[in-house]
Amino acid sequence: MVFAHGFGCDQNMWRFVEPAFEGEFRTVLFDHVGAGGSDLKAYDRTKYSTLAGYADDVVEIGRELGLQDAVFVGHSVSSMIGALAAQKSPGMFGRLVMVGPSARYIDDGDYVGGFSEKQIEELLQFLEANHMGWSAQMAPAIMGNPDRPELGEELTNSFCRTDPEIAKAFARVTFTSDNRADLAKVDIPTLILQCSEDIIASREVGEFVHRGIPNSEMVILEATGHCPNLSAPDEVIAAMRTFV
Amino acid sequence: MHEPTPRIDDFQDMFENSPCGYITLQTNGRIARVNKTLLGWTGHSADDMVGKRFSDFVNIAGRIYYETHIAPLLRMQGFFNEFAIEMVTAAGEPLQMICNASEGRDAAGKPLFTRLALLKATDRRRYEQELLAAREAAKTSLASERETSELREQFIAVLGHDLRNPLASISAGARILGRDAQTEKQHQVVAMLQTTVMRMAELIDNVLDFARGRLGGGITLDRNASRPLEPVLHQIIDELRLSSPGRQIEAEYAIDSPVDCDRTRIGQLASNLVGNALSHGASNLPVRVSAETKDGLFRLSVANGGEPIPEAALEKLFEPFFRGEVRASRQGLGLGLHIASQIAKAHDGVLTVTSTAEETRFTFVMPLR
Repeated sequence: MVFAHGFGCDQNMWRFVEPAFEGEFRTVLFDHVGAGGSDLKAYDRTKYSTLAGYADDVVEIGRELGLQDAVFVGHSVSSMIGALAAQKSPGMFGRLVMVGPSARYIDDGDYVGGFSEKQIEELLQFLEANHMGWSAQMAPAIMGNPDRPELGEELTNSFCRTDPEIAKAFARVTFTSDNRADLAKVDIPTLILQCSEDIIASREVGEFVHRGIPNSEMVILEATGHCPNLSAPDEVIAAMRTFV
Repeated sequence: MHEPTPRIDDFQDMFENSPCGYITLQTNGRIARVNKTLLGWTGHSADDMVGKRFSDFVNIAGRIYYETHIAPLLRMQGFFNEFAIEMVTAAGEPLQMICNASEGRDAAGKPLFTRLALLKATDRRRYEQELLAAREAAKTSLASERETSELREQFIAVLGHDLRNPLASISAGARILGRDAQTEKQHQVVAMLQTTVMRMAELIDNVLDFARGRLGGGITLDRNASRPLEPVLHQIIDELRLSSPGRQIEAEYAIDSPVDCDRTRIGQLASNLVGNALSHGASNLPVRVSAETKDGLFRLSVANGGEPIPEAALEKLFEPFFRGEVRASRQGLGLGLHIASQIAKAHDGVLTVTSTAEETRFTFVMPLR
């Protein structure tokens, strides 16, 4: 069972969910390149300018581990990264779990994504204002040693701290992505976990994904917000158990 | 209506009228309580805000940021300090805030509520935005500056290269004329032509090396320890003797061990140093060259007499385009010593200078290897 985090933080997003499955499954956690404890030198502006670049990494991990018929659990934008990875390597994943997915965040004609193009531009600018204590000098210590408690104070915010330039680029690729055409190509059983009140991926958006993926089921969680994996892990675990 | 006189130990009053805003959120993200200060700043009423989500009063970018960064971090580390967020007032105006947040938890770690403390940060945010804008502007101007300078260096490289062809024609022409020259005067003119061609070729070489160095190629070496270095130095010094009639060049050689170097480059270095000594040294005093191998080092020194180099000039001597006082006929580009020092560096060696009333001496030292 592979857990992929979304835009914002790192694999710590799964800290309350993953332990519930590590008994029955071999669990795999990773940080997308550019996030968490990943090697920033591996960040390639061109490769990661599309979700396909991230999906290639998932496939690479899967090949390295020899995954077959695995469960891919993606939060937020990683739901679509999982859908792309499943297409790229048939047989690697047998089931998909999408937590708060959206096939497109920006409104388009009759399609309601929840955001206007201008609002997304505002977000990109806004990210400049919140560096979360990121500084180029501290970066090597933080990125190289995410688990070392002796770094103490410097670890504050580290789960969600990213090079501002990379954060902006990831935000751009996330919020300008359009994967509506990819939904129909998902040919494995898919579970969609939809929060009751999620301003990033609204219920309408979740239902669109549900309608688009032929063999999908949707569970509406009582949890609110965009991160039920943190705010309501028990509910997420229960829904996933029924599915896998 | 009259506000009661505030008391120092009235915590209710402290909550309501602190010089910062307070919001308490329920675990579902909905507002449980807001203090008066924040209501005053935003122009909302308590009825407007209580029961709604905090994100309803924040701009879109802030909402996304709250959901993707702040809410998760609050769950993971229990607090999040100093984040910038933009609230929207009742009049629809933006209100820049700096916010600290902490999560209240029960003994089992279950979240009970979230507290937010907010400070107005309009000025600070404006200042930060100006800094960001200035950084962007600096980035842009640096990029354009780099582009211009690269173009300029490419131009130098192309120019230097194209000057070689006409020079080769002049050289060939002078050679042909030299065969038929009859009078002493004609021979002199042809010899002068050839000296000038040689000198010009040197200048072009220096320009090209300089441009190449700037363009990132650096000085490239073709090292060979098995070929002798001494004949190369002989030839260089003989040529310089020919082109500087009336000047005395004394040379001593003690090269007993092989020197792992690019012989052409070391020849260029020697030529630049001796040429420099001939240009700047007193014309009635000899230029003394010595080349030796000793203690694992190759040492080449070139000394001349005459006025010492002023202290201030010594520091800049190896910088490109530096030119000392010199008579017009030997005026160069000021690249010779720069290139010589670059050649020294490429050989893991150093080029140094000392200048006194007795002599000015340039010394190049490199490991034999």
